[in-house]
Amino acid sequence: MTLEKDNLWYKDAVIYQLHVRTFSDSNADGIGDFAGLTQRLDYLEELGITAIWLLPFYPSPLRDDGYDIADYTSVHASYGSLEDFKTFLAEAHRRGLRIIIEMVLNHTSDQHPWFREARSSRENPRRDWYVWSETDTRYQGVPIVFVDTETSNWAWDPISKSYYWHRFFSHQPDLNFDNPAVFEAVWEVMKFWLNLGVDGFRLDAVAYLVEREGTLCENLPETHAIIRELRKRLDLAYPGAMLLAEANQWPADVRAYFGDGDEFHAAFHFPLMPRMFMAVKLEDRKPIIEILDQTPEIPESCQWFIFLRNHDELTLEMVTDVERDYMYDEYATDKTMRINRGIRRRLAPMMDNDRRQIELLNGLLMSMPGTPIVYYGDEIGMGDNIYLGDRNGVRTPMQWNSALNAGFSLADPERLYAPVISNAVYGYQAVNADSQKRSEHSLLRWMKSLLQVRNAFQVFSRGTIQFLNPSNHRVLAYMRQFGEETVLVVNNLSSSAQAVELDVQRYKGYIPIEMFGRNLFPRFGNSPYLLTLGPYQFYWFQLRRI
Amino acid sequence: MAEDVFLSDDLLRQLMSVGEVDLLVGMSSLHAANTVSHALDEIEESFQRNFVRQRVVIVNVGGGDNDEDSARAKGHDNLAEKGVRVPGITSLRTSHRVAANVPGSPSPGIALRTILAAADLLRARACAVVSPAASNLTPDSVANLLRPVYREKFDFVAPLYTRNKYQGLLARNLLYPMSRALFGWGIRELFSEEWAFSGRLAALCLNQDVWHEEAIQARPEAWMAISAMASDFRCCQAFLGEKSQATKGLGRDIVEVLRQTVGTLFWCLETRQSLWLDSGRSQSVPTFGPAHELTSDPTDLDRHRIFEMFRSGVTELEPILSSILDPETHSEIKSIVSLEEGKFRFKSGLWVRTLYDFAASYHHAVINRDHLVQALAPLYRGMTYSFLAEHSDSSPAEMETASETLCGEFELQKPYLMERWKAKVEVKS
Repeated sequence: MTLEKDNLWYKDAVIYQLHVRTFSDSNADGIGDFAGLTQRLDYLEELGITAIWLLPFYPSPLRDDGYDIADYTSVHASYGSLEDFKTFLAEAHRRGLRIIIEMVLNHTSDQHPWFREARSSRENPRRDWYVWSETDTRYQGVPIVFVDTETSNWAWDPISKSYYWHRFFSHQPDLNFDNPAVFEAVWEVMKFWLNLGVDGFRLDAVAYLVEREGTLCENLPETHAIIRELRKRLDLAYPGAMLLAEANQWPADVRAYFGDGDEFHAAFHFPLMPRMFMAVKLEDRKPIIEILDQTPEIPESCQWFIFLRNHDELTLEMVTDVERDYMYDEYATDKTMRINRGIRRRLAPMMDNDRRQIELLNGLLMSMPGTPIVYYGDEIGMGDNIYLGDRNGVRTPMQWNSALNAGFSLADPERLYAPVISNAVYGYQAVNADSQKRSEHSLLRWMKSLLQVRNAFQVFSRGTIQFLNPSNHRVLAYMRQFGEETVLVVNNLSSSAQAVELDVQRYKGYIPIEMFGRNLFPRFGNSPYLLTLGPYQFYWFQLRRI
Repeated sequence: MAEDVFLSDDLLRQLMSVGEVDLLVGMSSLHAANTVSHALDEIEESFQRNFVRQRVVIVNVGGGDNDEDSARAKGHDNLAEKGVRVPGITSLRTSHRVAANVPGSPSPGIALRTILAAADLLRARACAVVSPAASNLTPDSVANLLRPVYREKFDFVAPLYTRNKYQGLLARNLLYPMSRALFGWGIRELFSEEWAFSGRLAALCLNQDVWHEEAIQARPEAWMAISAMASDFRCCQAFLGEKSQATKGLGRDIVEVLRQTVGTLFWCLETRQSLWLDSGRSQSVPTFGPAHELTSDPTDLDRHRIFEMFRSGVTELEPILSSILDPETHSEIKSIVSLEEGKFRFKSGLWVRTLYDFAASYHHAVINRDHLVQALAPLYRGMTYSFLAEHSDSSPAEMETASETLCGEFELQKPYLMERWKAKVEVKS
């Protein structure tokens, strides 16, 4: 298989998110690497994903899991070499898998040569590449992101005896995008990777690129201007390459980052994610309907990226206080599970390892409008380790088999970058890819069939959505439509069997075909269409008029 | 068979869509067309302010399709559906509204039965019944009713109010002290248009074979309270603020009020004999919020007219009273009727004995029971006149002391009632 020439590939993609470090170790040093990842590409191809989103793999002091980049044009020695990356990229493309990499534009590590030069003296030519101040009172009122760690957005630099601005950790100084040289430098970095063949960038923390007094220093017009210029250059020189925005904002605010189709190609829909969890726990479709009602239309060429879990905490920034308290009470009763404003847990443990709920949530993810992202390990129901610091509990080694170190590495267990999960429920002896490959009814096999169906119908990735709103609020039902394809999705959000009557008058005469078993259901008629669903059950029906 | 299917298919379909709920508020919108919208808004706001996580439903019982009140209730969009929200508050779940249309003009008993059935089918944990006509209905009052059941696991919640000292005289001088002395639980407002109950009490009451009884049709709430007491369920009172209804005059409708309240109380005595015949001294029930409050605003009650109605009523009903009252009681009544208005007093001991005579005669059915209860009206007027004369200058504290004294008198004379109750009586034809 080779990559098809399709500039809108990101709209039809199913993305797999992973960190090189966590996936597969080829040289027995206890740390995953590109050579190991390359060996596992067959697994990902078989799973049915179509793109891989790699977390930062650049040289870095790793004080923020690689988001503190010390060199933008190389590979961290632990993960291999640039040559290893090129091999990986070629092998992925050979299998039809696109590669999206991280690009952190907002800040660098304080170990990056640019910052070292900038702080070395006030006269250094790179001094103005960062945001400096004589006082720590500028930009008062700007929120602090990592409230558990930082007390100010300013940090004192004892070398140049002044303050520098950082929206994240104090070891991550913000770049100064008011300096045109900074923009040119990051464009050079992006060109470097595009020339190697990467298919897209996830631009980290894009809302914070520019600072202005009297504002929250977020979402400023100057930031949008920078994005537009990047996009313009990208379209001109690298058509088909994609920009994905990481902006943890309300949809109405994120909407601006699509511009008129001239800024980002895609952006995460952060508020939808906690509401999917909430809806299942509440057994009520209201949270999902509400947030999608509030989601504005986006340009035809743009796409929302949606997800259940990722490498960070399950962020609860985009919920009300009442909703946050509810999520904590229901999904993070042990306070160790909480970090910043979120929950550091994986999908399966959050669902108490209930296969039906895990399937329902994945069913929602794959049938909602947007490009779905699967976080590594969630396809086999991996657990977490909440006793590891920061968010490392959801970044443990991939569980490949029941051999030493879960098949992740041949190193001594003590040498692994993080211990493998080994408890009785989620441990690698019980939960691993190899055993699930062999079991016809495993979660992994089920995920494959789910992705197979999803990938066979463009309606899921590009279609419109229309909610049916049956009187039974525990049932979430919607029509997806794209061209001649029409799909009815019916989800039982509750833990008990439900009956629901659907108003499908508009589709009178259509035959619903259950999409996994390809079984025919009774034709839609004049009356409301009665369906019964078991606990957490969902149906996908292809509608055909024959 | 008709009894088995008293819920309509339409209602069942609505209930199916609601599913299990935590909280249910029921009301009858009949004859409340002007206030039903306000009531629905207040309940919705209470849910949004106080129960953001809970599964909630409002069950509105209305008349047939031509009922203007229920039609208005049905047409009133709920706040959540309209997207209108209490500022800063978000209910997490869908807020449901069920319109239960009952053919004709449903009585309070039919309305309650419908609400109980809905509560049972929806497995509601806490339920409240409110009156859309009550101007004191607020988000807080709804929450104050529901909380003791939902949070504190009580099974029955009676309201408590701030009242003018001239309001609620029937409750003060008859219903409260008598029910407290006999059933052993000090519930001040046994008869009210708003109360709350647990799902298990709802199920218990729903399954009683009483729904054809006239007493239940008119005022089912006291029966619910007494059913809770009879089953050793937990009862309490919750303060709801000022009582909304204006002071009822002691004019012609007192007869109907007595039929509905005293008639129901007597019927409960009859049907729950084992409960009160064996119960010991009364006990107070837990109260949420402030205790019973009294205010001392002046009253425009026409005392002279009340006295005249007492005197003429007793004279006219002489033959009936003679068959109801013990001869000694009757003799004392006749002697006070002849007193001048200024010197007239209806002593508490005589009042208690009179009521116990009525209760015993109700039990023995010495005359038609409905007529018997109606015959109490002139005597109640006499007691009321005496009360007004005695307490025109009393402070709220003094009123409370008098109320406690009266309760003590009811308890003291309980053996008298028991003796008369158990006596063999030859019923006059």
